[in-house]
Amino acid sequence: MEERVRSLLLKFPGTNCDSETDRALRTAGFDNDIIPINLLNRDMIFEYSMVVIPGGFSYGDYIRAGRLAQLELGLKIGDALFEFKEKGGLILGICNGFQILLQLALLPQASLTTNISGRFICKWVKLKIINRKTPFLYLLPWKFELPVAHIEGRFVTSENKANEYVDSGLASLVYEENINGSECGIAGLNDETGRVFGLMPHPERFLFYDDYYNIDKSSNERYGSGYIFFRSVYEYLKVGGKM
Amino acid sequence: MQFAIYNGAKRQEEMDSELIPILEMTDSELGELFFKRKLSLSKFDLRVIKDYFREIKRNPTELEIEVIAQTWSEHCKHRIFNGRILHNENNKMKVIDGIFKTYIKGVTEKIIKERDGFVLCAFEDNAGFIKLDDELSVCFKVETHNHPSAIEPYAGANTGIGGVIRDILGAGRGAKPGACIDVFCFGPPDCDIANIEEGVIHPQSILRGVVKGVRDYGNRMGIPTLCGAIHFNKVYTYNPLVYCGSAGIIPIKDIKKEVYKGLSIVLVGGKTGRDGLRGATFSSASLREDSRTEDIVAVQIGNPIEEKKILDFVLKAREKGLIEYITDCGGGGLSSACGEMLKTTGGKIYLEKVPLKEPGMKSWEIFLSESQERMVLAVKDENLKELSYLTTIYDIDCTEIGEITDTKRLEVYYFNNKVCDLESEFLHNPPYKVLVSHYRDNNLKAEITSNYNENEISNLFKRVLADINIVSREPVIREYDFEVQGNTVVKPLIGGLGDMPQDGVAIRVDGSKKYIGLGCSILPSYALIDPYNMGLSTLDEAVRQIIVTGVNPEKIALLDNFCIGNPDDSYELGRLVKCAEAISYVALCYKTPFISGKDSFYNYYISENGIQSIPVSLLISSIGIIDDKSDITTSNIKSGNSLLCIVGYTKKELGGSIYYKILDINGGRVPGLDPQLALKIYQQFYKCIKDRLILASHDVSEGGVIVALTEMGFGINCGIEIDVDRIIKEEDMSISELLFSESNSRIVFEIEESNLFKIKEHFKDLPFTVIGKSVNNHRKIIIKNKNNIVVEESLEELKNIWKKGLEVYY
Repeated sequence: MEERVRSLLLKFPGTNCDSETDRALRTAGFDNDIIPINLLNRDMIFEYSMVVIPGGFSYGDYIRAGRLAQLELGLKIGDALFEFKEKGGLILGICNGFQILLQLALLPQASLTTNISGRFICKWVKLKIINRKTPFLYLLPWKFELPVAHIEGRFVTSENKANEYVDSGLASLVYEENINGSECGIAGLNDETGRVFGLMPHPERFLFYDDYYNIDKSSNERYGSGYIFFRSVYEYLKVGGKM
Repeated sequence: MQFAIYNGAKRQEEMDSELIPILEMTDSELGELFFKRKLSLSKFDLRVIKDYFREIKRNPTELEIEVIAQTWSEHCKHRIFNGRILHNENNKMKVIDGIFKTYIKGVTEKIIKERDGFVLCAFEDNAGFIKLDDELSVCFKVETHNHPSAIEPYAGANTGIGGVIRDILGAGRGAKPGACIDVFCFGPPDCDIANIEEGVIHPQSILRGVVKGVRDYGNRMGIPTLCGAIHFNKVYTYNPLVYCGSAGIIPIKDIKKEVYKGLSIVLVGGKTGRDGLRGATFSSASLREDSRTEDIVAVQIGNPIEEKKILDFVLKAREKGLIEYITDCGGGGLSSACGEMLKTTGGKIYLEKVPLKEPGMKSWEIFLSESQERMVLAVKDENLKELSYLTTIYDIDCTEIGEITDTKRLEVYYFNNKVCDLESEFLHNPPYKVLVSHYRDNNLKAEITSNYNENEISNLFKRVLADINIVSREPVIREYDFEVQGNTVVKPLIGGLGDMPQDGVAIRVDGSKKYIGLGCSILPSYALIDPYNMGLSTLDEAVRQIIVTGVNPEKIALLDNFCIGNPDDSYELGRLVKCAEAISYVALCYKTPFISGKDSFYNYYISENGIQSIPVSLLISSIGIIDDKSDITTSNIKSGNSLLCIVGYTKKELGGSIYYKILDINGGRVPGLDPQLALKIYQQFYKCIKDRLILASHDVSEGGVIVALTEMGFGINCGIEIDVDRIIKEEDMSISELLFSESNSRIVFEIEESNLFKIKEHFKDLPFTVIGKSVNNHRKIIIKNKNNIVVEESLEELKNIWKKGLEVYY
């Protein structure tokens, strides 16, 4: 029997992209489980190849986006997540998940703060890959589009680290048009291993070609770039961690 | 803490058992008592209440008085919509046995007979249900939250959207909310603050507060806000209107819910406090200057995360079959929720079990509290254990507070004291209201001929496009997460740059091959002149918006939401009656049933300079089924090599139009409707969609054909050339009238030239014509009359005007 690739999708109170992210993971081939935080324990994650923290407003994001989730998650399985990563596990954070991963220090130092406009922005954006050598991006074309929807998505660093991240390729994904005032237009960041990745745009919302805002009805495309994103990770894990 | 609550409650116990000696009171003393408690009941109601208690030979408790007032309030029993109306028109009087029964429910009943199996449940539950496919149903509900938004815009809109989402969660045995719709009517955002009375919030602040309120609740709940409208008009400066709606999905087998003896009553969600007391009665009265300070306690701030947890919990519990009955705690709190639930059976509630936010609450305060984010469930005892396990997973409180009986009585206890014992029969059958309405035409309806210099058209066109009611809603739309759930296939903003307007929106449904189309229409400037034609136009536009998106015309259902000023004013009520007549006439012809609706009265403000009221404000929201993915059609022009066509007659109907507003003309002929012809157009248009002949289609509405065509061109790098002379029209129409007329049932659309013959076949005997083409060699809109150019403008420049219009204010 073919071995299945298992993913664990974490759900906090206030997580609201769980069902579409679950759908995206399954469509790409994963055997996914949605685990509410109250049922999570530290041993559990080692049964999976990837841990996904989806978008939403965990605990309302009232203090600062992702802060309470970070405390809760850090307390419960913080050390286990680092161990999981060291053992070759993948960790993905989308939108609110990206905010949480940064605060857990699973990603290089940076912060996501209120958009320069001070507003929530729901918009399709053009993205550019800077470093394709990550399990999450290696099958995607250099340029593609995804929707964003956030109010705290402006990527900021101290001591001009953003430039370093771009130079070193850790900032693997940038906006073509800087919609929220992020330093160097950074939209996605991975750690040195490439196995932890966080991004503000929502790949799970462009799973099918019909999700696009300007459809060409004569096109035979079935999937969107979000599908390729999840498919990349799946292919990578399926062959035991090779690109 | 526990101890403190107990102590407080102990003292309360003695006070609560006291009876209020209404039997010993004179009528005026009784009136005084209700007035002091801010309970809006009529003298006649009070007499009926007194008679009831005389018959059962005792005085009521404080809680009983409050329960009766809440249950009989306009908010809960819609006694005006259900009341008898003596309608006077043309010196004749007719008796209308309930506006609701005659013009809304009656229409639906007739249509249901012909459209077997499409409407699954109408006007019975928290929302109306239609069939999506053999397994799934979609339900839809729109509410108003006007008074709270007027005095506290952010919180008012917040709890408005929270409430309607709970309506969907409490529809059937718990539906999954999949879309939200929000429609606002505000005063002009540029109105001079000096002209507004003290205590009234400036329209711009209301706009900002309301939008942020919707954003912060809807986005956190993870429900896409997809559809809406904002209408600015000075008549709404004192009485802003906020309509919030939501659509949900539920398996057909889970629509039916019932209560029977032996079930336990369970309260789920947040704790109960003094916040929001008397919201239901407060919303059934008019606003006045002191409303801001006095009634602000009635407005709460929502807690979307609490509600999100309830949502996760309810959907899981329904999936596992643990829920027999569910309803939300909205206006009237537990009193209203339990009252409705126990109407046919009866039941016992033990208020000491209700988790409280603060100690020392009286029993009636607990029962009437409108604390947000609570739901009431009826469950089998054997399922309580599993239900309580789910509450630990989703972090919510769940408390057993009572049981269903078969006594047909509402019995409420507080620490062994019976604080309420009322027969359902009495409680749920308030006396009939009888109202008088009077309709007479105002002098505004007559046709007007505008002698405007035709050389001015280009300038006028730009002013129409820059009008506050035409300009892009993009700044507001982007605040709403319209992509969450990943199912928004037709978005509110579309086209090459994802920033041009779309009529109806469409969502995919997980587990179904069908799609849902949503649209809405509200036309208050027509209502000021002619409420009957406003009714015709509003219904027609709501239907047309989703027809052009690919909805099957045989699978459309509607919601009606009326807001009016003072129903005791026969003039205002007369205009409501005319409007209701109009929509019932068109709905019957289109066979589009009403499945739910809501009415809101007393939208007037008593100011120093007299009463500020609103015109009849009707929102029609449309929901329809798109049978096949390929039927989905959007409004953006797809190629620079196509023909542009129009179907429908253009008439000299400019009363209430944007054009007349620009020219400062008050009055004129408001667009009418030939519903038989319109229906034929829509049926044939649908056939064209089915035959894959339509590349793009847009409904012609405010601003006329020129605005519709221009908008279609905003999404692609090509130009538009139109010959105005080809438009099928009435005699004696000037060019500007042709371009800016807002006649109904017109659609402009794009086709490939090679398909013209087939299109002509479909529109045989109908007012169809090719009016121009899209071209690749320029990026302008050029409008010719025979060979004279009347308008030649850069589409980029026009788009800039249109796109920037609202940015100044939001």
